Amino acid sequence: MTMTPTTTRGQALTRRQTLAAGIAGAGLLAGLSPVRAQANEIVIGGSIPLTGVFAFAGVGINDGIADYVKIVNEAGGIQGRKVRYIPEDTGYKVDQSVAVFNKITGSNPVSFYYSDSTGFAKTINPELNRKNSMIMAGASFASELNNPKAYPNQFVAGPDYSEMIGVLLEYIAKTQPGARLALVNSDTEFGRDPVAATEAMAAKLKLPIAVKIVTPPTSVDVSTEVLKLRRANPDFTLFHGYILAPLPEFMSQAKQLGLKTKFMGTFWSMDNSIWARVGEPADGFMGVMPYRYYYDEAPDAPMLQKIRAMRPEYQSTAYMQGFLTAMLFCESAKRALAAGQELTAPNLKAALNTLKDFDTGGIIGVPITLSGNTIPVGRVYRYDAAAKRMIGEGDWIRLGKDAG
Amino acid sequence: MEGFDPLFFAEVTLAGLGSGALLALTGLAFVLIYKATRVVNLAIGEMLMVGAYLFFAFAAGLGLPAWGAIPLALAGGGLLGAAIERAIIRPMLGESPIAIFMVTIGLGSVLVGLVEIVWSPNPTQLPDFIGAAPVFLGEAYVSRKIAVGFAVACLVIAGFLLAFRTWRGGVALRATAADQAAAYSCGIDVPAVFCAAWALAGVAAAAAGILVGAVGGISPTMGVFGLSALVVVIVGGLDSVAGALVGGLVVGLLEAWSGTFLGGEYKIVATFSLLLAVLVVRPYGLFGTAEIERL
Repeated sequence: MTMTPTTTRGQALTRRQTLAAGIAGAGLLAGLSPVRAQANEIVIGGSIPLTGVFAFAGVGINDGIADYVKIVNEAGGIQGRKVRYIPEDTGYKVDQSVAVFNKITGSNPVSFYYSDSTGFAKTINPELNRKNSMIMAGASFASELNNPKAYPNQFVAGPDYSEMIGVLLEYIAKTQPGARLALVNSDTEFGRDPVAATEAMAAKLKLPIAVKIVTPPTSVDVSTEVLKLRRANPDFTLFHGYILAPLPEFMSQAKQLGLKTKFMGTFWSMDNSIWARVGEPADGFMGVMPYRYYYDEAPDAPMLQKIRAMRPEYQSTAYMQGFLTAMLFCESAKRALAAGQELTAPNLKAALNTLKDFDTGGIIGVPITLSGNTIPVGRVYRYDAAAKRMIGEGDWIRLGKDAG
Repeated sequence: MEGFDPLFFAEVTLAGLGSGALLALTGLAFVLIYKATRVVNLAIGEMLMVGAYLFFAFAAGLGLPAWGAIPLALAGGGLLGAAIERAIIRPMLGESPIAIFMVTIGLGSVLVGLVEIVWSPNPTQLPDFIGAAPVFLGEAYVSRKIAVGFAVACLVIAGFLLAFRTWRGGVALRATAADQAAAYSCGIDVPAVFCAAWALAGVAAAAAGILVGAVGGISPTMGVFGLSALVVVIVGGLDSVAGALVGGLVVGLLEAWSGTFLGGEYKIVATFSLLLAVLVVRPYGLFGTAEIERL
């Protein structure tokens, strides 16, 4: 016997009403049943900025983490345990990111978490310490996070922003001792981060700072800033706190004025595809990269070959960051499990800190050691507009080891 | 401390006037809508952004020359303005100003989302159509893009001022702004005036978007520039076209001088101090009509 659904008034529902009710019910069920990890799985949660001002990076980060997790699972997981990656979009908003964190960690046994911003990393730190069940890394390279006492359950999958500038200054001191510097920073927490450390490092390396320029976050035209730059006439101009704008306009106006200064940036300004779209004015732009580029065919980079096999099209620097972060998460779980330990925050962080001369499969060009909260390593790259590529300049620089 | 350098001061002043003109053009789009319809359109920055992306699509995507891509982008901006008025704003007529204000905030988010879907969230550059050779006024250097932006903004605003005094449609818009019921009784098609105001604002926003994009590059988040223009129109007067021009130039100069002689971190402080001072002394703006309401 077939039953005809009826309304409360006893009338038979039309086919359209039944369909609508079915869709609504299915939607409700889907909404009430978030992805849940199976028992025994190792879970990586993620507040990922898939929309909003940081979406250009979030998409790559998401793909990078997902790809590394896929590689690990296809190889049998970690000690037979599968890894599950549970991301959710935050729109790059701290309150949304916190809500996503609570949702994912509230319904899954999360051991690792990817954070989308410095603001979130700082906001969630007390909760992370209270839970003591997971370690976290993310899109922030804030110098403040490089403090194992204040941030015992966090790390940075690369150098912090001050260390990035440190790599640039080491390079400048080696190639042009006594060079005069200009610092151009955006008037944001991100932009101001390395200024004090830069001044201290520059003084130590005897690199005089000719001018410090700050630009408001909404500024479009940089004519007045370029005029200040012309007055100071520095050998190197170091940008920090930007993605792309207003760097191309700075460079093109400086060229119009005949300035010989070399422009440099930090990680988030270093994606190859972004500069490729700028074209000729991008030629000669330099900056620090903690990771190799997608297209690097160095013989000691099998992981890059694997990535190219999985994704034949160019993958961004953000992808590499997500990929390496997932690799470090998994390596820490592997080491903790191999030592017969539970996956708690102290055990995972201690396992991570045992990384000594660890081979990242060539994602980073030298073996890495993670004794504190960062990996103080980087290489200077220069954009070649004719080749449409960032090209490595000199060797990888390990702060503290290769200094002086 | 370095001595006063008149040439440097002149160059900074010219740069300030140039970037002020870009603010004025964006402010014009704001004023056109407010003047005719009394709607505070917070999505103006996003309309500007869409205009820049339309130019990008025609110039970089279809490979059209600038003389073909610019009119198409302006027409697209105008169509967008008219479509928004017809589909979203007109059904809201009679609702409280706050409700319409909130709708424009939501509209801004929708436009950002659409652009992210169509063109990706990555920042990029517009094809160069202005050239890079610097302009020198006497010995003073001016960035070519800023000089062109200044000329275009002044011409467009002068054109609008002239149109409001001489063109039939412009007079209808002024009449509607003065008294909607009276304009209606005189046979003026008030809904058509509303639609025309949004379309013209869309064109002005697209023009500003192309110029702003040429200087600073484009990204789905470039609409924040519209917030700077909000300061300009509050200073100049929400319903004054001339006020948008004067407000833009004043804010541009203030930003240039404060950024150069005090430091970049003082630009916003100086701009908002001016805003506060104007609100205290002339709450309706330097050139605004005295009875307008504030939100």
